[in-house]
Amino acid sequence: MSAPDKPLEEYESVQTWYRGLREQSGIDPTQDRSRLDLLREFCMALDLDPDALVAACLLKKEGRETKISVKGRRSMGERIAEFQSRDASADARERARRGNTIRSFLIHNGILLQSGIQI
Amino acid sequence: MEFKEVVGRRRSIRYFQSWRQVEREKIQVMLEAARLASCAVNATFLKAVVVVRDQLDHDTLEALKTPVSGLNIELAPVHIYTYADMGAYVGAQGRLKKLVDVGALNATHGWSHKFVDDFVWPNILKPLADGATQASVAGAAASDAGIAICQAMLAAVDEGLGVCLSAFVHEPIAKIVNPPKDWLPLWVLLVGYPAESWEAGGQRPRPPMEEQFFEGKYGNGFKPDPKVTEQLKAAKMIQAPAPLPWRKDEIKALARMFGLPE
Repeated sequence: MSAPDKPLEEYESVQTWYRGLREQSGIDPTQDRSRLDLLREFCMALDLDPDALVAACLLKKEGRETKISVKGRRSMGERIAEFQSRDASADARERARRGNTIRSFLIHNGILLQSGIQI
Repeated sequence: MEFKEVVGRRRSIRYFQSWRQVEREKIQVMLEAARLASCAVNATFLKAVVVVRDQLDHDTLEALKTPVSGLNIELAPVHIYTYADMGAYVGAQGRLKKLVDVGALNATHGWSHKFVDDFVWPNILKPLADGATQASVAGAAASDAGIAICQAMLAAVDEGLGVCLSAFVHEPIAKIVNPPKDWLPLWVLLVGYPAESWEAGGQRPRPPMEEQFFEGKYGNGFKPDPKVTEQLKAAKMIQAPAPLPWRKDEIKALARMFGLPE
C-alpha cells in the first residue's frame, strides 16, 4: 500500500474517470479541480494511490474473469461514508459531494456503487 | 391518451418523486389492466402484492436492495412484488368449461365440456397441474405473467405514472408479504410519479425490425413499410430516439437534486 507518488492525472484510473465524466456524464473534469483534491485526500486517508483504490474493490484470479469483490466494495463504501461525514463543518450537500466525488471515481472505473438519496 | 402513444411513451423510469404518493385508484387501474390480460387456459399465473414503500421498516427496505436496484427501490413510493403462480393450472378444467359456457371456446373450434373433461384435462393439463416445476409450466407462467405485467405498466403510463421493473432480494419481502410456496418471485414493479421528464431522454435504442422479426422463415427479416413507420411517428408510437440533446443536463440536475454521484 502506498499513497500517490505522482500527479493524480497520470494514473490510468484517473484518466478513465475523466474520460467517463466527459463522455458519459457530459462533464469537463478540468473545470473543477476540487474533484482531484478530494480524491487525493481520500487516497492519503487510505494510504492508497488511485489505481490501488480500484484494485481494492476487485477480485482478480489467474485465468478467470475479474469480479467485483463483495467485501472490497462493501468496505470501500464504508470508508467513503466515513470520509463523507468527516468534514463536520460542511453542510449536508457538501458532505454528499465529498462522498459522491469518490463514488464517481470508482463508478467510472467499473465499480458499481450507489449512494442512495442524500437530500 | 391514445394506445399507440402510451406504448411509445413507456420507458423504464429510474428517477421517481420519492416524496409523492401514488393514488390507490391508479394502482387499481394497473391491477385491473393486468387482470384482463391474455392468459393460457384462463389461468391467472401472475400474482402480485402491492406494498407502500413507507410502510416498510428501514432494515427491510435496505435488505431488499440488490447492488443495481437499490436506488430505484428507495426512490419508488409503491412497490408491486410480482410472482408467477406455479400452481395456476390447478382448476383449469373448470375454467375451460366456463369459457365454453360463456361462448369463448366453441364447437366451431372443436370445444365441448366432454373434450375438456375426457381429453384436455387428464392428458394435458392435469399432468402440468401435478408437476408444477416442469419447464413447460415455467415457460407458460413467465410468458403470461409478463403479458399481465406489461398491461399494468402501460396502464400506469396512461395514468401519468412512471414504472420500472427491477430485481429484488426475495427473502426480506417474503417475510412481510408471506407468498405461498409455489409462487415464483419475478420482479418488483416500481411505481411513482417520474422525477425525470416523461421522455426520460428519449426512446431507447432497439435493433431494426428485420433483425428481430421474420417473415415466412427465420433469416427473412420482416421489412417495415416506411409509410407505416411515418404513421406510427405521427401517432407518437415511434418517438425521438435517445439521447435527446438535453439528457445529460437533466441527469446532472437530478444528481444534484437527489445528492447522487455523477
